[in-house]
Amino acid sequence: MSGASQAMHFKARAGDKLADRILQGALKKAQPLFTAKRRKGMASLAADGLDFAAMRAAAQAIRQRVLDDLDVWLEIFEARAVAAGAEVLWARDGAEAARLIVELAQREGVRTVTKSKSMLSEEAGLNAALTAAGIRPVETDLGEYIVQLAQEPPSHIIAPAVHKTIAQVEALFAEAHGRPQLARTSADIPKMADEARQVLRRDFLAADMGISGANFLIAETGSAALVTNEGNGRMVTTLPRLHVVLTGIEKIVPTLEDFATLMRLLPRSATGQDISNYVSLLTGSRRDGDLDGPQKTVFVLVDNGRAGLLGGAFEPMLRCIRCGACMNHCPVYFALGGHAYGWVYPGPMGSVLTPLYTGLENALDLPHASTGCNQCGSVCPVGIPLPDLLHGLREAQNARGLRPPGERLTMRLWGWLARHPRSYRLLIRLAARYLHWLGDDDAAGRRIRIFGLAPAWTAGRDLPVGPGRSFFEQYAARKRD
Amino acid sequence: MSDARAAIFGQLRAGLGKGDATARRAALEAALAQPPRGPQPQRPADLAARFRGRAEALSSTVDAVAARADVPAAVLRYLGARGLPPQAVATPELAGADWGALSLRFAAAVDADSVGISGCFCAIAETGSLMLLSAPETPATVSLLPETHIALVDVHRIVPTMEDAFALLRTERGRLPRAVNFVSGPSRTGDIEQTIVLGAHGPRHVHLILIGS
Ligand code: SF4
Repeated sequence: MSGASQAMHFKARAGDKLADRILQGALKKAQPLFTAKRRKGMASLAADGLDFAAMRAAAQAIRQRVLDDLDVWLEIFEARAVAAGAEVLWARDGAEAARLIVELAQREGVRTVTKSKSMLSEEAGLNAALTAAGIRPVETDLGEYIVQLAQEPPSHIIAPAVHKTIAQVEALFAEAHGRPQLARTSADIPKMADEARQVLRRDFLAADMGISGANFLIAETGSAALVTNEGNGRMVTTLPRLHVVLTGIEKIVPTLEDFATLMRLLPRSATGQDISNYVSLLTGSRRDGDLDGPQKTVFVLVDNGRAGLLGGAFEPMLRCIRCGACMNHCPVYFALGGHAYGWVYPGPMGSVLTPLYTGLENALDLPHASTGCNQCGSVCPVGIPLPDLLHGLREAQNARGLRPPGERLTMRLWGWLARHPRSYRLLIRLAARYLHWLGDDDAAGRRIRIFGLAPAWTAGRDLPVGPGRSFFEQYAARKRD
Repeated sequence: MSDARAAIFGQLRAGLGKGDATARRAALEAALAQPPRGPQPQRPADLAARFRGRAEALSSTVDAVAARADVPAAVLRYLGARGLPPQAVATPELAGADWGALSLRFAAAVDADSVGISGCFCAIAETGSLMLLSAPETPATVSLLPETHIALVDVHRIVPTMEDAFALLRTERGRLPRAVNFVSGPSRTGDIEQTIVLGAHGPRHVHLILIGS
């Protein structure tokens, strides 16, 4: 697991993922569950007399208000977090964040670190950095624990092991826990979860440092807000003597009231729950007389490409609250799974973030990994126009000369044709006839099986055959009748 | 000021192009004193009924007693029905009462504790959640480490929404404790094939005793 991007290999990976029967089975099982959960969440919103459009407008306004003055909100957050007894550190990129945390761990004599899910930890390649320094990181979210055992990155931002089948999890557990492998069915899932509970409980109690992400940073109170279902977030932030909050600088929310508004949408968008089981606001460290809680709390606030988006065309992406709804409703995500995207964030939000955070030239395919259906944009609880941002990235690729010469030439020709209607119509007439001629007849009807000009289009499917005449010709013919 | 901090703020300010951070900060801090609420859900007619319904939907079990004095018997009943011995760790704030046949240790919880008993700061009808505050007399581990968490909820402390809970916190406490924990039912995971399992890392059983009517 590391912060390095493999996003340049999207197309090659896509082919592998499509051919992976086990993965395809896992994805097929997961998708309807995800969409049904969100539908249930939206129904419960309506049952409480709340309108999704109005809630989304409110959530979007809260997040946008933060971005409009992000420098000042961060100052306010920092001042109040420090006043409450926490320490605040800043990192320009993932490597700097990892270095700060490793140094802190070494200074404090830390041997074992328990971790609650932090996507920034993935951006920073933190587990590799800790391991290299002889410190043992233990992922404690069950899904993260599974992918850590498999030595894989998460494939989904809220369901990290969604790509794993029960048999694969059983094989990992048997090996890691030193026991023979058993035949498992869904009825055994509680037993397997309990096994992980027993193993991880020992680590929770033994760890010297807990590292969590933060779903939000509350400026008003200088607090980290943490939302989990398993309770591992509470363990990691309560039991070890040190607590590190590792998160991005865009996570600010002004007030507790704003947080309450966002909490009506985040769990519902993510898992369909009205509320997640544990919602914690953590402010400073152990107070005088407290019997539990960490002695020291350190925030590591990371930029890693975020500040550069402010004031630009891609700024809306910083409103993201990491609910996962966009990937849960994405046909491309469910055809391939999250690993095809090659970096930390998959699905539509990943296709926007990966090129922005790791470099346009390092993720050339991702802005094109879209059908343009806008399912993602329609479910996003903070109104991020994901398809528009993907288009914007394609334009940026073009402007920087990052598209292949053939494609650029085609686009230029197309541009010329679009401005010359006579030539355009002539070409379309010819093309319509050519495409009709290309088709084969068989029992299933007339189809184009191999399209020589763009063979990739017909590699995995046939094209339907058109009527052999252009729209203009047909229109003119009908008008005559 | 670290180099990283200066570099990040420099880039933020260049992107925003707004200038005068001092004036903006004064305006935003002033606005924090009067935080507006977002769209509010319908207020249920019966807060306690709504709370109870939601809590049960979250797989908590719920009992109701008329008065504080009835709580020890209710706890004994619950433990007996589950086949558990009459002993538990409890938050020190509960130490003053007469617990009868129950053997309680008033402290932070340790791994060996199988039952933890706590009160709550307030409860939220909208989501069926408990709001727990960490403090010397209410350590956070009591609701976290034991397999069973029993929470006492005074029905007069059930408020409609999370915003109402924050309002209560502001008037009664002023500032946030180290940890505010909203607990909504037993811990759960869906990370293996999206099958929901109760008792992931936190309590497997959450039992609520509503006090008063
Ligand atoms: S882009 Fe929107 S839908 Fe996707 S994870 Fe972010 S907030 Fe959720």
